[in-house]
Amino acid sequence: MRKQEKRAVICLVLAAILIAGIGIFGYRLVKNGGEWATFYGNTQIYTDGAINRGTVTDRNGVELLRCTPDGFEYTDDYELRVATAHVVGDPQGNVSTGAISIFRSQLIGYDILNGTYDATANGKRISLTIDANANRAAYEALAGRTGTVGVYNWKTGEIVCLVSTPTFDPAYEEWEADEESSYYFNNFIDGLIIPGSTFKLVTSAAVIEKMKDRDSFTFDCDGINQLGEGDDTRLTDVSAHGEVDFRGALAQSCNGAFGALTREVGAKAMQEYTEKAGLTKPVEVDGIETAAGSFTFPDDNEVKLSWAGIGQADDLVNPCAMMVYMGAIANGGEPVQPTLIKSATFLKDLTGGKSLGRYLDKDTADELRSMMKNNVVENYGEENFYGLDMYAKSGTAEADSYQPDAWFVGFTDNEDAPYAFVVWVQGGGFGAQAAAPIATRVINALGTSGE
Amino acid sequence: MVLAAYILLIAIVSLLTTRATPEIWGYYMVEEGGGFPITHWENVIGRSRSADINIPLTTVSNNHALLIRRDEDKWMVKDLGSQNGTKVNGYRLDPDKRYIISPGDQIDMGGVISTITPPSIEETRNNRFMRRLDKEPVAPWKILLAITIFQLLTIVQLVLGMGEEITASALLCIALLCVVMWAYVMFFHITGSRGFEMEMIAFFLSTINLAVTASSDPGSVVKEFIALLIGLALMIFMCFYMRDLNRTRKVKPVLIGLSIAALLINLIFGTAQYGATNWIRIGDNLSVQPSELVKLAFILIGAGTLEELYDRKNTVIYAAFSLFCLGCLALMSDFGTALIFFATYLVVSFLRSGDFSRFVLTGVAAGAMGLIVLKFKPYIASRFNAWGHVWEPEFMDDLGYQQTRTMSFGAGGGMLGLGAGNGSLKYIGASNTDLVFGFVMEEWGFIIAVLLVLCIATLSVFAVMHIVAGRSTFYTILACSAATMFLVQTMLNVFGAIDLFPLTGVTFPFVSTGGTSLLTSWAMLAYFKAADMRRNAGPAVGKEE
Repeated sequence: MRKQEKRAVICLVLAAILIAGIGIFGYRLVKNGGEWATFYGNTQIYTDGAINRGTVTDRNGVELLRCTPDGFEYTDDYELRVATAHVVGDPQGNVSTGAISIFRSQLIGYDILNGTYDATANGKRISLTIDANANRAAYEALAGRTGTVGVYNWKTGEIVCLVSTPTFDPAYEEWEADEESSYYFNNFIDGLIIPGSTFKLVTSAAVIEKMKDRDSFTFDCDGINQLGEGDDTRLTDVSAHGEVDFRGALAQSCNGAFGALTREVGAKAMQEYTEKAGLTKPVEVDGIETAAGSFTFPDDNEVKLSWAGIGQADDLVNPCAMMVYMGAIANGGEPVQPTLIKSATFLKDLTGGKSLGRYLDKDTADELRSMMKNNVVENYGEENFYGLDMYAKSGTAEADSYQPDAWFVGFTDNEDAPYAFVVWVQGGGFGAQAAAPIATRVINALGTSGE
Repeated sequence: MVLAAYILLIAIVSLLTTRATPEIWGYYMVEEGGGFPITHWENVIGRSRSADINIPLTTVSNNHALLIRRDEDKWMVKDLGSQNGTKVNGYRLDPDKRYIISPGDQIDMGGVISTITPPSIEETRNNRFMRRLDKEPVAPWKILLAITIFQLLTIVQLVLGMGEEITASALLCIALLCVVMWAYVMFFHITGSRGFEMEMIAFFLSTINLAVTASSDPGSVVKEFIALLIGLALMIFMCFYMRDLNRTRKVKPVLIGLSIAALLINLIFGTAQYGATNWIRIGDNLSVQPSELVKLAFILIGAGTLEELYDRKNTVIYAAFSLFCLGCLALMSDFGTALIFFATYLVVSFLRSGDFSRFVLTGVAAGAMGLIVLKFKPYIASRFNAWGHVWEPEFMDDLGYQQTRTMSFGAGGGMLGLGAGNGSLKYIGASNTDLVFGFVMEEWGFIIAVLLVLCIATLSVFAVMHIVAGRSTFYTILACSAATMFLVQTMLNVFGAIDLFPLTGVTFPFVSTGGTSLLTSWAMLAYFKAADMRRNAGPAVGKEE
């Protein structure tokens, strides 16, 4: 009998396997439960493939979307619908960056303890960080052109404005655009665009840290700045800037001078500082990753290297990453991670958002900040930004379009308006003229909504 | 919710902490070697260290002879074909023949003389005293009350969750289950039984069963309840019947015949459901699953007394019968059940022979056969392809449909559940049987779903823990193979639904909707009761002073 008793241990082994299996499943449930519960096959929370509960509002409680068992109910305001379409998302899920997709489990109100249990079946009310007024202002200011406007609070990380054009009306169900259509494309998150002169802020960072004698740097700009033989070796400028120093070169956005500075610091340092500025890797916004920029700095081609240093050649930047870089300069070299969902805790307001780590030395950031102020004072005119403590850099990027792309990037440092921003208008013309007013208008709109 | 955890925890802890002190049936006195207490009815005497009575002398064979208790002071000896033979009072025993001996007779094994002495009255009294000191099984009243409250809450939840859809008869059945439960416990408590944990677990699981059925198909709760009553009655009957070992053994050939007949009838008249032809329709709205009932017989046929285990013929019959069952199940395309039978067969033959290499070999051979099956049954092979990949777009809405829904709706239940009657998984096919784990997760929460699994595991662990005091290997094997069957069935059911294993479509013992399955689960409980050697554990062991 004793033998049989010993052999019976095999039953214990089976029981152990059973419990181990449940353990594995329990682990998976904790890890993936939210994803599972929000799977479109769950008819508790989906009606005809669309989420049937939850409400999306802007930061001030303006209702943008209400999900009901009868379908999505968007705001009645057409302009607001199109201005927030890329942030809120569409019923078909063509916009992968929409709140409907990203904050699905928050909308449903899933948590590991209660699952999707919801006595009212109304779902949760999630508050986005964007400001309806700012988005509307940005949409209006873009005035039908292709472009993007992104503004975030560089202290808390809250994205207060995010508009991408061309856009669409998510409430218009007969919308016939295919999935690849540019209407669904979010330029801010997925775009890769030639940065033009805004990139000089990265080159400047390299110069500040690598060139000890930068204060004695001068360049005599003749407007053509011939490097070698032939037309294709020129670093042309809009006009002859004459003799400029480093600060002046940035204020005037002198291509010739920045070409020389780029050659001075060299390809390796350029690569290094582009990476440090976070422009070559994706930025994570609530679980979605932006496109990653790409740059090439050849060390055997001075002309191409020079152009790369002034934001042309093969340079491609993601607008969101550029905005975060502005946040880095504003915040003493350490940017805060951008987010789209308003957290309920006021703790975040006190402590600031999650840091993305150090991009720049404090001194470097401070010097860049002072140079960006200088740009505003010397070039763009402080009177154009009445009431705003503005720091910025414009960009006029030569792209394929008839007119150059207009850029305006930078930040404000007002007590009640600590915003870093990026504005890009395709074919907009000169950056300071076309894009700067958009930034001003949006930031001013932010002040109006009782912040 | 808290209540459920409480009920199960008490029962589980009680089952796992109470232990039986072995009863002493006599002493085996070896000349110049002292005495060995005989704590089993069936003993192997030999040199082997695992022999029950171990005589470490080279003249004694490894497994020399069997010593089996027949009556108050009658013992039976059987030589197992030992090298040097066995003599009783100088008379040489023929190998493989039984001889009745009495205490005092001189047994000579390879020159070692020994005798059997009955335990003295004083010793008997001490032993009884010791057994009385054993931790008593937990009193059933608190658990009973808890389950009753749980059942009432279930009724309330169903009414709240389903409103008009719930039928009065479904609710009445849950209430009646409560009455039956009290009646059962009271009756057997009066007759002196004390161990009710297993029944409590089964009543609890059955409550969930009725709730699941009420939520998914209110019309068939009555049928489910009747099946439960039949199962309960069958269990009580089996408990009494199995008290007499010889009577139980004799019924085996009858069961073999009945099982074969049932399976053949199934093969000829069976109707298909979800790919497997394992149903027989009787009349318009009654159908039974003969393979479920054959499970009961299969376990009993696999069990054997120690004497039978040394009998080759018995083993051959069992193997042949197993093969027949597996063949029939394969023809019915019921591979899930076939797998359960096979796993049970493997464990039982391992228990019987202890031959690990054969255990592995048989497993490998079965694996090879499985591959052949995959080749000829493409729909099974495709299930294997989906296994582990159900969330991939290719399978999500196709072969992984049931699994992804199980996990999605199940996760939707969180830890605490949406409440009985509030689930939506019930609109998916086979949700209350094959996917019942997800069903319970959604309506009752993950914690209760896990507790259900723990219940099954506990029953099994209990079976293993309590056989040390077993009377005969017959009961040991019964409990172990019933445990194996429960465990494997639960594994296939749960793991299949949550994509840890290909979906095979078997039922969760007690919990899955299905009259035959519920009936069988209850009847199987008798096998555990029969192995419960605690004092006054229940109807299967009789009352002790």
